Amino acid sequence: MGLNMLDILYAALMSGVTAVYHYLSEHVLTCLIPAFFMAGAIAAFVKKEAILKYFGPKVKKSISYPIASISGAILAVCSCTILPLFAGLYKKGSGIGPATAFLYSGPAINVLAIVYTANVLGYQLGLARAVAAIAMAFVIASVMSYVFKNHDSENDLKSVNDIAGDDTEPERPLWIKLSFFGSLVGILVFGASGLGWVPKLAVVYVLTLFVSVILIYHYERHEVTQWGYETWDLTVKIFPVLIAGTFIVGVIAHILPPETFRPYLGNNDLGSAFLGAVIGAILYMPTLLEVPIIGTTFGYSSGIMGDAPALSLLLAGPSLSLPNMIVLFRIMEFKQWLAYIVIVVALSTLMGFTYGLIVG
Amino acid sequence: MKIEIFGTGCRKCKKLERNVETAVKELDLKVNIEKVRDINEIASRGVMMTPAIAVDGEVKASGKLLRPEDIKKLLK
Repeated sequence: MGLNMLDILYAALMSGVTAVYHYLSEHVLTCLIPAFFMAGAIAAFVKKEAILKYFGPKVKKSISYPIASISGAILAVCSCTILPLFAGLYKKGSGIGPATAFLYSGPAINVLAIVYTANVLGYQLGLARAVAAIAMAFVIASVMSYVFKNHDSENDLKSVNDIAGDDTEPERPLWIKLSFFGSLVGILVFGASGLGWVPKLAVVYVLTLFVSVILIYHYERHEVTQWGYETWDLTVKIFPVLIAGTFIVGVIAHILPPETFRPYLGNNDLGSAFLGAVIGAILYMPTLLEVPIIGTTFGYSSGIMGDAPALSLLLAGPSLSLPNMIVLFRIMEFKQWLAYIVIVVALSTLMGFTYGLIVG
Repeated sequence: MKIEIFGTGCRKCKKLERNVETAVKELDLKVNIEKVRDINEIASRGVMMTPAIAVDGEVKASGKLLRPEDIKKLLK
């Protein structure tokens, strides 16, 4: 009897180790490390103040909405940075549209999450996640500002410029910034591509050299240190949780096989998509952990979970969770809070369902 | 003198708290360090990005992790 228990325990733990091996060993070198450097570079070198300028209520909607919708990719990687920013935008005169678009897009379309999704769950789902999240942010902005027209006029119109910090970045030509970020994107794309090892490593090697040359001649020492710091900060923040979480996902998959969820999440119908969205909205998933949760816990990788609920979960998941709803409840007015949650769940369902129709 | 540190408890915010303590100790100043954790309070002070630091009520830097050297300059 005791031996039997040990066997079960051993099998469950091995399942966890296998999951860690599967999700991390194959992806760390070619996908996660370059992605962390990319996210670190964005955090260190992209002037956030410059983007915030476009969020004021006086800025034309045709400019502020698209910028708010894609800004998530640039401004932050996890919702802990998003919430203070959102609270600031919401209370200090930003349009409610751009503020909620940003609230949604921040965690939903960060570089790390998209790259990791595309790598592990397939580029199709990764691309769908990026496109659908941007589109959703835009729709959320439009609906929220239409329904709550009064919010903006009641708010004091303190310009975001007044609150933004100082600008001390040394001037450098645009082409240098572009080639710097272009090379990083190149490393990400080639690293993740299906090329053989030799050409892949050659391209990555040349691009890395090129990045170093740009840094040596055009960036100052303290900026490079800042980049290193931001990259390291993200890594320690996300990586240990990802490893532990993936292990737990593996153990759970052993105890509660993904087959269990087939009747609920195995289809591409509206019900499955809705359930995916609701699970995503409630469940707290640490950054990047949504990928193994979908791949293994719900069995997307083994063909059990449908495409529709998978995308719905990815769309509602990172932006909403029970803890995050509680914080939002304290910042937003009740009606707006409720509307935001309902809109996110409804749109995630629709997007997932549509995607299911296209690929299924 | 009063120093306020704004942060909801993220890693960088805690690092800033430590850096401030280091700076204050090295300068041997008598200051009141206050940690503002409430998100509504942070927003109402016009701080959009954490960690942020205010000296005598005026926000000096936000969204940046200042090193102890940087903080010393603010305090002089």
